[in-house]
Amino acid sequence: MKWKKIGKVFDSSRHPDFGEYDGFAQSPQALVLADRVRVYFSIRKKDEVGKFLSNVSFVDFDRTMSKIIGVAKRQVISLGSLGDFDEHGIFPFSPFHHGGKVLAYTCGWSRRVSVSVETSTGFAISDDGGYSFRKFGIGPVLSASLNEPFLVGDSFVRFIGGRFRMWYIFGTGWLDFPGESNADRIYKIGYAESEDGVNWERLNRALLPDVLDENECQALPSVLLMDGVYHMVFCFRHATGFRKDPTRGYRLGYASSFDGRSWTRNDAYLGLQGSQGDWDGNMQCYPHIFSCNNEIFLLYNGNDFGRFGFGLAKLDSF
Amino acid sequence: MMQFHWRKLGLIFEPKKITGRPWLTEFAQAPCAIEVDDAIRVYFSCRPAADHEGRYVSYSSFVDLDKDDLTRIIRVAQHPIMALGAKGTFDEFGTYPVSVIQDGDRMLAFYGGWTRCESVPFNVGIGCAVSLDHGISFKRLGPGPIISYSPDEPFILSGPKIRFFEGRWILFYIAGRKWITFNGRPEPVYRIRMATSSNGLNWIKLNRDLVETRIEEDECQASPDVFFDGSLYHMFFCYRRSFDYRGKEGGYRIGYAYSRDLVQWTRDDSKAGINVSESGWDSEMVAYPHLFKWRQKTYMFYLGNQVGRAGFGLAELLD
Repeated sequence: MKWKKIGKVFDSSRHPDFGEYDGFAQSPQALVLADRVRVYFSIRKKDEVGKFLSNVSFVDFDRTMSKIIGVAKRQVISLGSLGDFDEHGIFPFSPFHHGGKVLAYTCGWSRRVSVSVETSTGFAISDDGGYSFRKFGIGPVLSASLNEPFLVGDSFVRFIGGRFRMWYIFGTGWLDFPGESNADRIYKIGYAESEDGVNWERLNRALLPDVLDENECQALPSVLLMDGVYHMVFCFRHATGFRKDPTRGYRLGYASSFDGRSWTRNDAYLGLQGSQGDWDGNMQCYPHIFSCNNEIFLLYNGNDFGRFGFGLAKLDSF
Repeated sequence: MMQFHWRKLGLIFEPKKITGRPWLTEFAQAPCAIEVDDAIRVYFSCRPAADHEGRYVSYSSFVDLDKDDLTRIIRVAQHPIMALGAKGTFDEFGTYPVSVIQDGDRMLAFYGGWTRCESVPFNVGIGCAVSLDHGISFKRLGPGPIISYSPDEPFILSGPKIRFFEGRWILFYIAGRKWITFNGRPEPVYRIRMATSSNGLNWIKLNRDLVETRIEEDECQASPDVFFDGSLYHMFFCYRRSFDYRGKEGGYRIGYAYSRDLVQWTRDDSKAGINVSESGWDSEMVAYPHLFKWRQKTYMFYLGNQVGRAGFGLAELLD
């Protein structure tokens, strides 16, 4: 693939409407509307104990993705109450059109004691075209299971061939590494299908081979079906040292499939690199591939997991 | 409906009297009885001493009773039946309570697994483990829970009771519905639920409360123990107030409900026939009933004050 890098297109820390937040615009995900492209993202604010909470917001672009034409003026979705799976944040948030409504899958965060966090996938519905979402129940629709014991999240869902298809991540281990004060998590990309969007049947295996080592972490699958081929863009990193060491941080990966279940990984095919010294020079993560106006776009975060916003690339050719 | 009458046989297992087992210093909770070769084996959950912050972990283990005298202990397990879960798993800090069933040559244990949370003290999920050594030790079927959190059952999935009725597996359990704060402390509210399975692995939740509340809207219900008498299903369970429930007032009592189809239950606590004693180990609470039929008699194992801190007791059903 050959991409034209547009550069960083949104930075919440520099936008006047987001002054009450502490930066970040993570995991941009597009909802193409008649007159605009709404890009949802997670933005952070510190809570009373000084830890970050991620909340969902959005910014609207024109359909050529060249101009910001609006931002969210009120809460998109509420965080959970005491003890809920999404009490401590929603990140990422993945919307799509279905049956005249906008549906979304959320990744809810809940803090733990022996490890930092647990996540599960929630389901939400918008009755006002994507301005606000109500949750389907208090609890998650996809959570820890017998062989996917924790950290279920990053769900990306599309309705294809009469079924809901979900690509998501699940944890495989919390490991203590030498020199690290806290346990580090390992996660892989999985797949599930559903008739109703609520009850899911898992494939129960990791979809992609590792290229780094067995502790490679794979996250945020984003899938686009074009001419019978499923294209997946995701991100992957080393299990440790990924926050500070650019050689161990997130990179974008690519895989293709004819059925959404069996995938061939070929990271080099994506052909999108960070620009040395620029906003995405040290890290590229949380990609989102989508089409609009017969163009293919890729949204993604750069350095420091999206602390300084997200950027855009446009596909030139395959 | 039948009125039950019980004769209390007293406290039969006291963890305080057990030595040489540091994991068994306090509590013998949620008794669950099953016949093995030479004994009636009663599984229970217990705790080592609390850590420096006053936090407990819980293990499950068993004690064997004399088949000819269920008040006589003939053996205490040397070890817990399973280790705690790995880092970050749902059962890292406790395996409590446990419900055991024979399945051909093997035994299956369904259990509550405990993890610690930041904003609330804990969360619980339901796991499953298998024993190939007649119930001495159990191995997890996998590192995660077998019953997951869901939109209508968001947290605190615990208290499993496994049964096999009408050709299918039935799991009675409890599900949390909300956390309330009382005196600055978060307290979970939970109700009795049910799921069914054709293979014991894949479960379909009924997604409704089985037993109505009686003492208050946020009444907490636990230990749904069900038996079938040939025409009717009988459930003994326990219930308490949602707040200030650690003493006699508001503490656990044993309730009763019956059903013809496992789905529609009629509650009638007045029929349960067992209550707190005037004095002694069960003078403030009666909790976690478990019914066990043995040689034409029906027994109830149950807990007393402080939900089994002193151990578990036994009662015998009178004709």
